[in-house]
Amino acid sequence: MKLIAVTSCPTGIAHTYMAAEALENAAKEKGVAIKVETQGSVGVENELTEQDIAEAHAVIIAAGANVSKERFEGKAILEIAVSEAIKAPQAVIERALKLEKKDLQKKVEEIKKQRSEERTGAFKHLMTGVSFMLPLVVAGGLIIALSFIFGIEAFKEEGTLAAALMQIGGGSAFALMVPILAGYIAFSIADRPGLAPGLIGGALASQIGAGFIGGLIAGLIAGYTVAFLKKTIKLPKGLEGLMPILVLPLLSSLFVGLLMIYVIGIPVKGIMDVMTAWLQSLSGANALLFGALLGAMMAFDMGGPINKTAYTFAVGLLGANVFEPQAAVMAAGMTPPLGLALATVLYKNKFTKGEIEAGKAAWVMGISFITEGAIPFAAADPIRVIPSIMAGSAVAGALSMVFKVTLRAPHGGIFVLPIPNAVGNLGGYVVAIAVGTVVTALMAGLLKKKITE
Amino acid sequence: MQIVDMLNEKLMNLDLKAKDKASVIEELVDMLVNEGYALSKETLLKAVMEREATASTGVGMGIAIPHGKSNTVKKPSIVFGKSNTGIDFESLDEQPSYIFFLIAVPEDSASEHLKALSQLSRRLMNKDVREQLMKAENTEEVFKVFI
Repeated sequence: MKLIAVTSCPTGIAHTYMAAEALENAAKEKGVAIKVETQGSVGVENELTEQDIAEAHAVIIAAGANVSKERFEGKAILEIAVSEAIKAPQAVIERALKLEKKDLQKKVEEIKKQRSEERTGAFKHLMTGVSFMLPLVVAGGLIIALSFIFGIEAFKEEGTLAAALMQIGGGSAFALMVPILAGYIAFSIADRPGLAPGLIGGALASQIGAGFIGGLIAGLIAGYTVAFLKKTIKLPKGLEGLMPILVLPLLSSLFVGLLMIYVIGIPVKGIMDVMTAWLQSLSGANALLFGALLGAMMAFDMGGPINKTAYTFAVGLLGANVFEPQAAVMAAGMTPPLGLALATVLYKNKFTKGEIEAGKAAWVMGISFITEGAIPFAAADPIRVIPSIMAGSAVAGALSMVFKVTLRAPHGGIFVLPIPNAVGNLGGYVVAIAVGTVVTALMAGLLKKKITE
Repeated sequence: MQIVDMLNEKLMNLDLKAKDKASVIEELVDMLVNEGYALSKETLLKAVMEREATASTGVGMGIAIPHGKSNTVKKPSIVFGKSNTGIDFESLDEQPSYIFFLIAVPEDSASEHLKALSQLSRRLMNKDVREQLMKAENTEEVFKVFI
């Protein structure tokens, strides 16, 4: 095991070197190799080479002054005050050693964060809305599933626990789903003044039966309406206080509300109804194709816009009591990391040491439905890895649809499977995920070239 | 250039009188000024105190290395001081400091001096070095530590 470190301090006379010495001594005592670059008054000494960085398991940056981190992209980095390296070098070394194991997970988290920061425009606002809606869907979906423990019709008996569960999950959590989606889309666009018209528009979409598509539209309209009104209406100084409390909510809610009722609501309800009916009647070849399409979308960009489109579509349908696409989407989102993890076990000569190590973490991300866990593999060899994971996910999605697997929870990976009634046709689901995983692993093994060292 | 080449027995005081942080820094700076290594006491004091303000140079283990960069300093120099009672230097480990190295350098110092100073910093992280300094009773014994 090897660590690398950079030390630096404001004047570059004393602490830079004391920290370097302390880290070197502490590493020596622990039998860990370390190379410490000092950026002090003498300039850069003992400079880290590209090879040092490539070999290192983690980077310790002990710096009072700023040290550029560009060189260390993708590495696990421990940033500490230079004084900490002098005071407790042993603890610092230990922390850096522990970091190394989280390498892949950390990388994936950084990618996720970076992606969500990069999102712009309507897509970003939609994703904000979805992220606020998700907890409602999770709670609602699983609580409804629990009510089915007492029988699928048990909730109809008033005063029973099953009825209470249905009231919580269906009557409340699911009823809030579309309004919250619309409200926070508008909130994301126009800040606080967007929330009220968004919620109202979403509630109308629910009542009319325009579902989550109606909610998406209502949220966007509400947000952009408020943003537009904020820019165009200019009140005299003394009356400015009335804008957020009277003018904006009244005008924007009226506009969004009337538009939903008289213009948008009915056609969207028509689309939702047709789509819902079509999805519910899907079987055989159509179900297979649809599942394969959803699956391939999930794998194509591993958590990117196309993946999120398929995912959001499936989540939205939960509110319309269509549960099959959700199952297909989650299965297809789990197989990319799982399949690649399996491939690193089966074809050790086709992966780098780092990838084989990362494969262990990919198992965990796969069962947790974190599709992004496949990104480090795909980034290293996209032309071979992406088709492999798309194929596996398409198979998983298709099988899940054909087996008519239903899923009431929008997230949670393998951990929702034991919750009673969360999954319909559990056996079929396990088969779909397992087959998709194997397909990805075999294809990756077939396509990837041997690593020559 | 070695550390010993930068040590000067006239810049050593093995029995500091000061009892607190501000006065120990002043006592060390005075030695530099009196020996003609720095022109202005005020300017050097200010540079050292500014460095202290960003973070204490009391690095713990009984050691403090106040330092400053200023053109009032004529050549890179090290002042060694030892307090037998210990002084609260707001150290990282909150323990009193006994051994002091005041390091003063001009703004544009030759790198050979700076390298020697970096060696001094490194050596102080060594337990044996610290113990020998604590035991030193005269300037000769201080020199011996770095030979």
